[in-house]
Amino acid sequence: MIKITPSELNMIAQYIHEISGIYLDQSKSYLFETRLGSIAEGLGCKSYLEFHAKAKKDLTKNIERQIIDAISTNETLFFRDKGPFELLQHKLLPELIDARTPSTPTLKTTLKIWSAASSTGQELYSIAIILKELLKDASRYNLKLLGTDISDNAVSQASYGKYNKFEIERGLDQRYLQRYFTLFGDSWKIKDEIRAMVNFRKLNLMLPFTALGKFDIIFCRNVAIYFTLEDRKKLFNKIADSLADDGFLVIGSTESLSGVCPRFVPKRHLRAIFYQKTN
Amino acid sequence: MKNLSILVVDDDPVVRRLLQQRLQRENYQVQVAKDGHEASELLGSRYFDVVLTDLMMPGGIGGLEVLEIAKSLYSTIEVVLITAHSSVDTAVQAMKKGATDYLEKPINFDELFLKLDKISNLKTILRSAQDLQQAMDTTENVASQTIQDLEMQTARLQACLDSVETVLLDDSLDEDIRIAKALSLLAEK
Ligand SMILES: C[S@@+](CC[C@H](N)C(=O)[O-])C[C@H]1O[C@@H](n2cnc3c(N)ncnc32)[C@H](O)[C@@H]1O
Repeated sequence: MIKITPSELNMIAQYIHEISGIYLDQSKSYLFETRLGSIAEGLGCKSYLEFHAKAKKDLTKNIERQIIDAISTNETLFFRDKGPFELLQHKLLPELIDARTPSTPTLKTTLKIWSAASSTGQELYSIAIILKELLKDASRYNLKLLGTDISDNAVSQASYGKYNKFEIERGLDQRYLQRYFTLFGDSWKIKDEIRAMVNFRKLNLMLPFTALGKFDIIFCRNVAIYFTLEDRKKLFNKIADSLADDGFLVIGSTESLSGVCPRFVPKRHLRAIFYQKTN
Repeated sequence: MKNLSILVVDDDPVVRRLLQQRLQRENYQVQVAKDGHEASELLGSRYFDVVLTDLMMPGGIGGLEVLEIAKSLYSTIEVVLITAHSSVDTAVQAMKKGATDYLEKPINFDELFLKLDKISNLKTILRSAQDLQQAMDTTENVASQTIQDLEMQTARLQACLDSVETVLLDDSLDEDIRIAKALSLLAEK
């Protein structure tokens, strides 16, 4: 295995920060070696200096993609933390639907929901399942459910919607499993009726994203924890710009916005917290 | 005692006895079944870590059926098939259905023990991963309650400070009154 020197460590950490915003603790050099070693070796590099130079020169961005896939933590599960999904079902969605239902009955109610670091898709599919359960006739609504992530691997697994038994066992209850998934070899695949409700695509949250338009609900959970405070401030400021004035933001259950973004105030509902914009 | 419980299923009494003795000598916990029917009964009554079963057995319940029964009862059970050279293809098919591995007859015991060691290591790793996950979930739950409480409290204090600032900067009031109002706002927090 190629050894990483302290100066290379610094250089690679900085490079990873540039391409993804992810801030890695340099005291964990083994993490760099175990996660990047096989990519570097595969490229025939003798050192991380050479690896860095190759990655920067690669116009196809192929190496960059591999690095991001290797260092990003895609840990996620269906209905993670439960609280936010109960919140969605019993408070956020009913309130928004009330507010958004047009007075002309022929017009459809539009709802835009964004899972801003969707990883392998479990979060957005959980949201879609809640919507399906809540709305008796989903076709009367114009639903736009978007999932984005910086990792190509994660986005493609999410789009495919196939999960192994370990991924399924975590968080998903039997009732939803039977109703919304079909057995596919020794894995489970999300049914078309749910798959058709969502879209996934690649997006780096460090870059501008105003082009996505405004959302009614944004889930931005367990991604900002990998960023520096400064990057977190910028991110939540941009998220405030992308959220409708009466929209809702949900962050990870161990995250906090105090000292990060004064444009949001926390509100508590049962076991969960959500944020709204200050006016 | 080793940490694996093994169910041996074989219709040949000689092979059955041999497997039982050799595995017991290695300190595994072993039970035997003389055919698929007995195996399915035993599986119904308790959990085994590993099922070591002959592929071809008379009586309607062969190795593939034992595999299916075991997997449907316990998703984490490991099934190793014992097969004649001529049915290796069937064994490979069985691995697609969730069998862990297969052994060709005549049984090479070194190979068998090696496979069992691997299964045992894997189970240990899986177990500690689950323990870690469990510990992490608990920590995360407690932490999230604390963080939520702090988050609400910080917001309340911030709102209080904002209103104190507004009062103190309000030129339309006398200074004494501003201070009194500010103090009472602070007392409410
Ligand atoms: C731990 S997962 C969180 C998944 C899900 N939101 C949840 O809470 O279960 C973090 C995800 O953030 C993604 N990520 C990291 N940096 C990113 C960036 N700059 N832009 C977009 N996604 C990023 C990673 O690829 C990973 O899939």
